[in-house]
Amino acid sequence: MSGFTSQYLSTRLDLFSGRLIDYPRLVGFIDQDLERILAEVRAITGNHYDLDASGSNDVESRLIRGALEDFRVLIRPFSGNERRYLRFAIRLFELANLKLLIRGKFSGVDNAEIRRQLVDLGDFADLPLSRLVETDDPHEMLRLLETTAYAGIVRQARHVYEEQGHDLFLLDATIDRSFFIDLEQRTRFLHDEDAAFLARVMDELLDRYNLLWLLRYRFAYGLSPARSFYLLTTTGRKLNATRLMQLAKLDSIEAVIAALPEPYRGRVAGLARISDMETVMEYHALTIAADMLRTESNLVARTFSYILLREAEARFLQAVIKGKRLEFDRELIRQAVGLGF
Amino acid sequence: MPFTPLAMKKIDLFMVDTDTPVAAMTLARMGVLHPQEEASPDFPLEAFPAARYQQVHHDLGLRFDKIAGYVGKPFAPATSSRENVTLEQLQELDEQLRTLWVEVSEFEEQLRRQRERIATIRQMSGSLQRFAALDLDLSRLRRRGRFLRIFVGTVPSPNLDQLRRALTLSGFLTRSFFSSEGIDHVVVFGASEQHQDVQEVLNSADFRGLTVPDEFSGSPSRLQRDLDLEVTAIKRKIEALERELDSLVEGNFETLQHARDCLVLARPYASLAGALRGKGRLVSLQGWVPARYEAEIRRRLEQNLACPFHIEFADPEPAEYSSVPSVMPRSPFLKPFQMLVRNFGIPAYREIDPTGAFALSYVLMFGMMFGDIGHGAVIAIAGLGLWKRFPAASVVAVLAGISSMGFGLVYGSLFGYEHVIEPLWMSPMQDPVRLLLLAVIWGAGFILFGNLLSIRNLWAAGQPEEALYSGKGVAGLAFYLALCLVAYRLYSAGRFGWLETLALTLPLAVIMWSHWRHSSGQLFERVLVVFIEGLEHVISNISGTLSFLRVAAFSLNHIALAAAVFAIAGMLDTPGHIVTVVLGNVFVIVLEGAIVAIQCLRLEYYEGFSRFFSGNGRAFEPLKLES
Repeated sequence: MSGFTSQYLSTRLDLFSGRLIDYPRLVGFIDQDLERILAEVRAITGNHYDLDASGSNDVESRLIRGALEDFRVLIRPFSGNERRYLRFAIRLFELANLKLLIRGKFSGVDNAEIRRQLVDLGDFADLPLSRLVETDDPHEMLRLLETTAYAGIVRQARHVYEEQGHDLFLLDATIDRSFFIDLEQRTRFLHDEDAAFLARVMDELLDRYNLLWLLRYRFAYGLSPARSFYLLTTTGRKLNATRLMQLAKLDSIEAVIAALPEPYRGRVAGLARISDMETVMEYHALTIAADMLRTESNLVARTFSYILLREAEARFLQAVIKGKRLEFDRELIRQAVGLGF
Repeated sequence: MPFTPLAMKKIDLFMVDTDTPVAAMTLARMGVLHPQEEASPDFPLEAFPAARYQQVHHDLGLRFDKIAGYVGKPFAPATSSRENVTLEQLQELDEQLRTLWVEVSEFEEQLRRQRERIATIRQMSGSLQRFAALDLDLSRLRRRGRFLRIFVGTVPSPNLDQLRRALTLSGFLTRSFFSSEGIDHVVVFGASEQHQDVQEVLNSADFRGLTVPDEFSGSPSRLQRDLDLEVTAIKRKIEALERELDSLVEGNFETLQHARDCLVLARPYASLAGALRGKGRLVSLQGWVPARYEAEIRRRLEQNLACPFHIEFADPEPAEYSSVPSVMPRSPFLKPFQMLVRNFGIPAYREIDPTGAFALSYVLMFGMMFGDIGHGAVIAIAGLGLWKRFPAASVVAVLAGISSMGFGLVYGSLFGYEHVIEPLWMSPMQDPVRLLLLAVIWGAGFILFGNLLSIRNLWAAGQPEEALYSGKGVAGLAFYLALCLVAYRLYSAGRFGWLETLALTLPLAVIMWSHWRHSSGQLFERVLVVFIEGLEHVISNISGTLSFLRVAAFSLNHIALAAAVFAIAGMLDTPGHIVTVVLGNVFVIVLEGAIVAIQCLRLEYYEGFSRFFSGNGRAFEPLKLES
């Protein structure tokens, strides 16, 4: 990438990062009414999402479309492995569609309802959504999925679903796990400097994923240490394979927390529920991504961080706006965005 | 006017709901209605009475298409003995096909499992081949030892590291003894008491175990034979399943044929769903039809509809021009060129269709730039050869070849030889300056013709101010004529006086004033924009005209290339000479021919169409009954 292009991209990232809504303000939205939330989102983002005052114009889709528009601008100057890596990272958005489809079809949800909840990812979509929704049974859908870019993920998901008691929660975990493994493997094709910067964000993400799923597998599903460890994704820096193997052998959540390295032990100590730990861990992962975006110079890592932050922001806003529109009470919305503690 | 889209009328049909499918079928049979789905916000009828019908038709179509993929013979064309397909009939058929598809899908799933099993066995065979040289008694692997448990099989290579670590938690060791194509062949062994736990981990890792039958106590080669037999058995099962599937589909062929007939007959009404609006039993249909079919439509509806109806035909208002579809008169000769014009855009309603002028100028320019009797003949003959497979390309190639031959006669050029035949006019190399001048004059004529068409199109589109004052209007034409005058005076007398200055500045001032009226923003911004627009207009007219120098340049280039070929051939002996001349001519025909074809297209699009052709018309997509 030429010096001029780097400068251009860096400026773009600075501009786009200014549109991100910081976490305390997002949390503050829970106590505001819908019109006020939309007005603030419009003010902060310069009406980037083209939201109307009443929020009647398909807010959720506009949030995603706005994010994808930014990504399109950001990945354009990249080429080769960097571009492929970032494009793959954007699949984070499509995973939601994939899970929704699989869950919806296996639970017998009406096609119209599935279609209503799916998000149009435009050029970034690899899934033939229309054909998938119109399949008549889940097995037909899986056969069709096996002809897409998600064939590998779907084969594993099918295996888990058929062998392990039709548990949709495990199926979601398998999809996430396959995605993170693939994403981590793709960093090997990047330049060492890019990979080193990315590792700072990726390690935090992987540690969060592994710790929370280890706790779930061991203490919610009652799986053996070996199987729990196997189902985790590729390992991060602080919670490396040796450490996770030691944690997997422990017999209680408290024992696992006590054996965690700092800063994780300090963060989750005193929290009783795994979902609460997830929220705290996600907050810290996003804080690291935000620092990377605002203070570092590596463009691949900054762009990746921006993708993570926008995905988290869109997910949070969608949950709050949907809750407000359905007139859920404050506590329910807090739970929906993972702030139940 | 023969060069503009056909005159259209807006149709407003009000009828009773029971007559709507009949009206749809009647209009579909005529193939002249372009339905309009957008209604004005104050249109009194709001409901979409055919929405449900369209949805069921869509679902039935999807199921039919899925099952039809398994049918091994063609369907008969739809018969029109029964014309109206009711919603209930569609729903009933949809239910039948849904049930049938569930059965088909079940077969497909069984087939998938069997094929996956074959893939697993092939992986096992791969493992066995590693043991073959050892002449090991494999029954030992099956035995559940008191202390030791052994698993042999394959895992996907990306899963191996994690599996190896995970199994150490259960006290098992994993060794890979062969790796190929993303699969690792492994042996897993450890203490027997943990084996249940290990089996679950192996399942999660997509481990495919080498199954040693209970009665088995032989060598790897014996087990390999058993695996081969199993593959053969599975293949037989697959064949049996495929036969059952074929027989299931064949047994339902009549239902499928009936479904197809109904789909075809129901399609007109279903595809009108977005254009039909209703309230109570009243239904309205809006659309566009060629004006000449007005009486025929009225007559056929009167003949076919059971209840009274009301129909209005109206000329489109200027505000509606953008939504009127363009129906172009059909000409088999111009069809290939129509495709090239459509690459740029569709003529808007009342806009002149440039296809005729495009075809003529394209063919002429190709000949001018690639004038050679021999090369033209080769292109024309090659075009004839393409007739069956690519008829459109064939017509273009034959005409371009003939034009090339014509200009070859004018230039006296035959396969690059300049002195074999006497030119009707002169060889381009004889007076290149004269040729360049003629190319510029051709270009000026081309641009002037484009300006005239632009004025006419703007006027017809109801934009009189644009037609008079803009750079594409009369002012633009006057400025271009002034430019031509200035160029002529400079060339002939070397003078640039007050008359030329006035002739240039007056129309340019009008054009800039037109830009000023359409600009917005701060004063400085507007001045800057208008100045740049004016400058751009001057530059684009000059550069556009000079662009046509390439017409002469390529004709010179053609001769220069031939001269280069002959120069090389001249250095060789007779066989080498012949081969070089033949290959050189092939090179010129293929490479230069392709470049000239593209350059002609570029001149047409950028110097022609961009000046006068909006290309923003709507394609005419009539409601049709397909068989």
